Amino acid sequence: MSTLLEVSGVSVSFDGFRAINNLSFQIGEAELRAIIGPNGAGKTTFMDIVTGKTRPDEGRVIWGERSVNLLKMRESRIAREGLGRKFQKPTVFEDQSVHDNLLMALKNPRGAFACLFYRPSRADRTRVAELAQEVGLEDALHRISGELSHGQKQWLEIGMLLAQEPRLMLVDEPAAGMTLAEREHTTELLVNLAKTRAVVVVEHDMEFVRRLGCKVTVLHEGSVLAEGSLDHVTHDPRVIEVYLGR
Amino acid sequence: MSRSFLARNPSILVFLACLALFTLAVTMLAPATGSGLISTSFVKTLGKTLCLCLVALAMDLVWGYCGILSLGHFAFFGLGGYMIGMWLMYARTELIVVESLSNAVIPPTPQEIRDAIGSQIFGVVGASDFPAIWIFAHSLTAQLVLVLLIPGLLALVFGWLAFRSRVTGVYLSILTQAMTLALSLYLFQNESGLRGNNGLSGLQNLPGISASQDLVSVWFLWGAALALALGYVLCAWVVSGKFGSVVRGIRDDEARVRFLGYSVEGYKLFIFTFTAVIAAVAGALYYPQAGIINPGEIAPIASIYLAVWVAIGGRGRLYGAVIGAAVVSLVSTWFTGGLVSSIPLGVYTVNWVDWWQVLLGLSFVLVTLFAPKGIGGLFDLIARRRGQ
Repeated sequence: MSTLLEVSGVSVSFDGFRAINNLSFQIGEAELRAIIGPNGAGKTTFMDIVTGKTRPDEGRVIWGERSVNLLKMRESRIAREGLGRKFQKPTVFEDQSVHDNLLMALKNPRGAFACLFYRPSRADRTRVAELAQEVGLEDALHRISGELSHGQKQWLEIGMLLAQEPRLMLVDEPAAGMTLAEREHTTELLVNLAKTRAVVVVEHDMEFVRRLGCKVTVLHEGSVLAEGSLDHVTHDPRVIEVYLGR
Repeated sequence: MSRSFLARNPSILVFLACLALFTLAVTMLAPATGSGLISTSFVKTLGKTLCLCLVALAMDLVWGYCGILSLGHFAFFGLGGYMIGMWLMYARTELIVVESLSNAVIPPTPQEIRDAIGSQIFGVVGASDFPAIWIFAHSLTAQLVLVLLIPGLLALVFGWLAFRSRVTGVYLSILTQAMTLALSLYLFQNESGLRGNNGLSGLQNLPGISASQDLVSVWFLWGAALALALGYVLCAWVVSGKFGSVVRGIRDDEARVRFLGYSVEGYKLFIFTFTAVIAAVAGALYYPQAGIINPGEIAPIASIYLAVWVAIGGRGRLYGAVIGAAVVSLVSTWFTGGLVSSIPLGVYTVNWVDWWQVLLGLSFVLVTLFAPKGIGGLFDLIARRRGQ
């Protein structure tokens, strides 16, 4: 399996606090990966670095078969390279309809003039309808997304992420605030998606990670503590100490 | 701009109809074209108000839709006025000079005419040579292009520097205030080449046109109404569709739009420059009606007033900006025009010219606190009533 994203030797400090400390790991072309770790382990900072929000002090982040350096790109450029991100708190454009949210996320030219003269093609309209169906919002297509329930907003954001057709999806706590049924649906969807692209899930909830049934990376104090199957890492004495020894 | 675009936005047609009715009514009441029930100076006030509505539209686009609280858009308005003012002043002075020299025994050379125009225009600041920036002042076409170009370029350069450095929020507002203050202070200098604090004057006289001010005022009213109509349709088109979605997204959550792959800076720069050009067109139509422009017009407070109009009218809806600008500027004219009698309170007399400012400030605070949607929010109430 070829490598899609390679993080090597990345460190970043905020006011002297080392949030990420010499972090290195790799994610393959079509892989599902869960990242777990206690609070302050650097999970969110890792996502910020990969998506261009935070610039690390040192290290490299290499992307794709052309081995481009993501650290030299702006957030929007990285997103166009095929890195999609779902935030922990559902962030959709609450002022606008579900349809408009999805249409904005749809993979199309992103330039100002392209958007100014853009008219949705038949294919685009079909795709939006498909996406809405996939995330169970087909009846809410013309509702203002601010009116949706918390779970529905999570789904809309997942739909927007799908619309972007990313090669790597970074998903921050997708199951937070979801009902049991919604969680099962989410698990199923993520497992399915990982067949065609890389999906990285950052999660607190061990039960949810177990259901994903994928390789797990444990972060602690900004670097990788252990890596392997969930059973493997949960039997690692260092992981036990980090999670239970406090 | 397909038909479906207008069909999807019926409020545009309503607005255009109201504007047409208004223009027709004023035309029928004006001294030159109608019954003369209203004075020429009032026709000019109404014409100027339409220009203020247009610049408010620009402000609504940049602030209400894109979330950039620019407190410098009146600088672009003023610059537009200066650009058209240069031609008006040059061409009119040229006519006067040529006429007065035509009785001379030896016909004057072009250089003599130019010198005479120069000393006529710049005598007031103790100079007689044309500054370099007046190089195109003889050509109406060139100055009309400059009306769009100069404010557009200023906005483009300023916006590029500010947005590229990710200056947002109150810091950007302060920066735009600094820009308009700097421009105003620069123009106050006699060396700026635009006659310092005297500004450009006599702009109400159109060179080569012998029509009376009664008639000219109506022409400008029509021009301003047409510009407002076109500006409204153009702005409505820009904020509809996907571009509008992205722009409103930037207002609500800039970082999220970036992670969707849109270059936020490019969109902001587009909106900032586009609205600067609209403001400049409004200014170019306003000052020939006002008759005079001086650097005091682009003092920082003017741009703040602009934001107050839009806030009172209702942000994020184009007709709100138009209503806000029209209502507040007309009420302001009424209060400050000396038509409202002062209220004597024994020891203190309430003089409305001064107290109007207090009233305006108070209404701004009240609207912000209790009716954040402004006057435009009333339409939502009506729509909801009807829906029930």
